[in-house]
Amino acid sequence: MGSAASAAVPPPPPPEQAQAGSLPYGPGLAGILPPKPEGEEKEEKKVDYLNLPCPVPFEEIQREALMSLKPELFEGLRFDFTKPLNQKFSLSHSVFMGSLEVPSQSTETIKVPTAHYEFGANFLDPKLMLIGRVMTDGRLNARVKCDLTENLTLKVNAQLTQEPHYSQGMFNFDYTGSDYRTQFQIGNNAFYGANYIQSVTPYLSMGAEIFWLGHQRKSGIGFASRYNTDKMVGTLQVASTGIVALSYVQKVSEKVALASDFMYNHMSKDVTASFGYDYLLRQCRLRGKIDSNGVVAAYLEERLNMGVNFLLSAEIDHCKKNYKFGFGMTVGE
Amino acid sequence: MPSSSALGKRDGGDGILAALSRSQVAAHGREAATMAKKLLRSTGKAAWIAGTTFLVLVVPLIIEMDREQQLNDLELQQQTLLGGPPPPSPIK
Repeated sequence: MGSAASAAVPPPPPPEQAQAGSLPYGPGLAGILPPKPEGEEKEEKKVDYLNLPCPVPFEEIQREALMSLKPELFEGLRFDFTKPLNQKFSLSHSVFMGSLEVPSQSTETIKVPTAHYEFGANFLDPKLMLIGRVMTDGRLNARVKCDLTENLTLKVNAQLTQEPHYSQGMFNFDYTGSDYRTQFQIGNNAFYGANYIQSVTPYLSMGAEIFWLGHQRKSGIGFASRYNTDKMVGTLQVASTGIVALSYVQKVSEKVALASDFMYNHMSKDVTASFGYDYLLRQCRLRGKIDSNGVVAAYLEERLNMGVNFLLSAEIDHCKKNYKFGFGMTVGE
Repeated sequence: MPSSSALGKRDGGDGILAALSRSQVAAHGREAATMAKKLLRSTGKAAWIAGTTFLVLVVPLIIEMDREQQLNDLELQQQTLLGGPPPPSPIK
């Protein structure tokens, strides 16, 4: 780089120079040294530690990475139709025909062909949200989100099944403060949990959680932190169940985001790293990821028309020779 | 005189080809052939994995980026067509 100064012809100045005012150094060096970026002056202003922004909820700490790296892959046909009856009320019909994987102990994957129809009703209000879903195999899913006061929110999540002892329900109480959030959870099987997250600087927020499972006498404590700027998000999560999870998402441009994820499970000595991309174009959203388990997946949502989306999902597991391809359509908003 | 040891062990009735296939040179050759077969098989497997991974990860991306480019070009074209020439002035 230094040899350019001795060149007979001075190099042409970079285009940013056109807007810079008078420079302290002479015109010869100006072509070589990068101009001082204007943005640095903005960061000189003092950080107001009493006015920090509200942090992201604790369970959403990894939301950018999860959204980019874990799309809802499926195998078979999926069709969703949402019909709004009112400004707040809507009905949804959903058909799924395909294979579902049953977790098995042996290395062989067992796929069970299933087909079901799901009917749902949604009521959306700024203060109250009610969502219910019923399936043909007898499962009922209900979610309630209610703002009790301005800062206190109640969330209920329930799932009832035909099989005995498989139903579950969970109550969450969220309190939002000016720069912190707390949550208290009560679930069936005597599950109690609590978490707390606090903004430490305008970009960094840290939180902790504890939970206690009554029936199995298990308890755990975890710690999470998230560093968030305009262009990137980095998170770290450590739990006493032996899980360490790191994730990093970089927003390369407003259409493209690259995400990476690393998870280490101390109990089962399991390490997984995955890398993915997320392209948000005008007509489609394409997410692709490659895994250290030898899994390659892609998920495409293409907008065919106003309100009509075409879905394609592909997942190839090279190690277990498991190939899953699905297509679907989503009609309605 | 013969360099290969197998030729020296000639029994009665053995041909030159049988003796050749017993020799050490032939043994090396067989090893090389198995190695080449394994190499070909693993290259084939790697090519399959690389090909299907490319097909799933990269081909949709190329297609979508091409569509986006086409849409951009169309919009640019329409912009220059519709917003280009100024409306004619009323004083004629």
